[in-house]
Amino acid sequence: MSVLSVAGLKKSFGDIVALDGVDLAVDKGEFFALLGPSASGKTTTLRTICGIERPDQGQVMYEGQDVTHAEVRGRDIAMVFQTFALYPHLSIFDNLAYPLRQNGVSRDEVNRRVGETAEMLRLTHTLDRKPGTASGGEQQRIAIGRALVRRPGLLLLDEPLTNLDAKLRNDTRAEFKRLHRELGMTIVFATPDELEALSMGQRIGLLTDGKIVQTGTPDELYTKPKNAYVASMVGSPRVNLINATRRGADAAPSVETPFMSAEKGPWADALKAFPMGSDLYFGFRPNDIQPIGDGQTPGGPSFTARVHLTEPLGDIVILDLEAGGAELKMVLPEEQAVRYSVGDDVPVFVRVENTHVFARDTGTAIR
Amino acid sequence: MRDFWQWMFSPSRRGPMLIAPALIMLFVMNIFPLMWSFGLSFFHYKASSIRPPTFAGLYYYEKVLTDPVVWERMQTTALIVAMSVLLQLVIGFALAMMFEKKFPLRREILMLVLTPMMLSFVAVGVFFKLFYEPTFGLLSQAYSYFSGEPLTLLATQWGAVWGIVIADAWMWSPFVMLLVLAGLVSVPDYLYEAAEVDRASKWKRFTTVTFPYVRGLLLLALLFRTIETFKIFDVVYLITNGGPGTSTETIAVYVYRVAFQFFKTSQSSALSYILLFIVIVLTNLYLYFVKKRGEEG
Repeated sequence: MSVLSVAGLKKSFGDIVALDGVDLAVDKGEFFALLGPSASGKTTTLRTICGIERPDQGQVMYEGQDVTHAEVRGRDIAMVFQTFALYPHLSIFDNLAYPLRQNGVSRDEVNRRVGETAEMLRLTHTLDRKPGTASGGEQQRIAIGRALVRRPGLLLLDEPLTNLDAKLRNDTRAEFKRLHRELGMTIVFATPDELEALSMGQRIGLLTDGKIVQTGTPDELYTKPKNAYVASMVGSPRVNLINATRRGADAAPSVETPFMSAEKGPWADALKAFPMGSDLYFGFRPNDIQPIGDGQTPGGPSFTARVHLTEPLGDIVILDLEAGGAELKMVLPEEQAVRYSVGDDVPVFVRVENTHVFARDTGTAIR
Repeated sequence: MRDFWQWMFSPSRRGPMLIAPALIMLFVMNIFPLMWSFGLSFFHYKASSIRPPTFAGLYYYEKVLTDPVVWERMQTTALIVAMSVLLQLVIGFALAMMFEKKFPLRREILMLVLTPMMLSFVAVGVFFKLFYEPTFGLLSQAYSYFSGEPLTLLATQWGAVWGIVIADAWMWSPFVMLLVLAGLVSVPDYLYEAAEVDRASKWKRFTTVTFPYVRGLLLLALLFRTIETFKIFDVVYLITNGGPGTSTETIAVYVYRVAFQFFKTSQSSALSYILLFIVIVLTNLYLYFVKKRGEEG
């Protein structure tokens, strides 16, 4: 049952269209990621859900009630701001106690719940200080604590990790998953980082130009992208997209690029509907391209590519390849990659069962 | 002689030469009289008599500090300061709250509201004197339109006090407004939003988010206006001249009287230095808060 559903949300600021019909539904207890590049409307979507912003059009349903025009205070929703928005003049204790005091919770209860929350977020030793003296990680935990302390039905997180340094970010990702598991809370979080979305989100809504392009589990977005844009947004390093043309027989279509030809992919049936010579993109992930070992039969369409750059990332290495004028990326385990150096010609093949084909004009996936 | 001119106008002496007239003026008109009057406060001396000064020690300081009239004038001053500064803070705060929001012609109206602060004391004093004038004054005419009788505001003690307080507050409320406005616009919007999400009521948002940002500046405005109003002279001198009787005679007007009407030069000097001491204490308090605020920010 979806606890939050948003339909046809539209919002403009002057001439700038922030939301252009956002639809999404979040289930109870779900950890939902709103993934999108900057200025795609993530923050505006969250602000509209919690009520700081009123939509021009559309509807926000929360726990079966239309709250589109309800007061912010009437909604059982908490939000953690990207800037953390801590009250600089109040102590950390008072910051955490703030939402409780607004609701007339008794003094003993405030002390108990702030203590509990501080304990959970390892803030107990900081409570007497002002937020300005806290470290970045502490400030972020205070912001989260302030949102959690009143046990909201829905927690919104606006780019919660963006203002943290890289190491802290990794720790906090795990922290969020732990909190979500322990509290069983419904969480919607906005992030421009697909790694965060893939690692934390149980489901992801991909937002671009004020519209949701695709919603699904991380696996669905990764293996069944709706269009070329989704494919390129999800997965790192980015998917290889090669200009291609529809060729082959009517009943057995193939996809032809300047340096290889592929057939019998998961797209084969759907491609029959496209006329000969249609412009396509042929897409495959950098880890679905493999060197052909000595005496090995290639498991898919094969070609020879030249290595022109290697990026070692510890246990894996990204190899930048060039074939027929197109640039490709290939990911190999480190022990396998050491065999290749810049300038080498490498025979490679593509795992055809994992490939994607998109129409070039609309970008829509063909499958 | 020629050598002297050459020596004086050599390029290396040009800078000092250029500022010399200003320094000499400052010394002759300000610093010397300041020192001299400090000296005179320890002597028996009347500026209107030709008798040479004779040493008096701390006689005049003792006299001033035990003088019941001085305490009476101090009380009058305190009353006017308290009323005027309070009014300035209230009106200034209200104006700042108003100008924090955006509305049509905001800039133009803001400029108009700031005008009183830019006027000279004499202009404000004369203006309000005419405004309160019983026969032709605008206030009296408006009053008689409803009651049929002219209003002689400055004839009663409280009327005169209010007359001065209103003139002073009219002139200086915009100053308080500027300071408070600076505080108000420095509150980040996201704090209001966070407080709204945390379910704070409008009043709570004001007391917990807005007010802490304005508190420091409000304190500065309070101190600054207290110091300035404590020295109030021009407006009082022009509007009531201390009257009726001595009911609006502030300490600054009293010093003027003692010095230039009764020509008790030594006594007025001693009183002036006691006032200077009070102002220095207040100023240091002010500087302390400025510094503290600077460290916070």
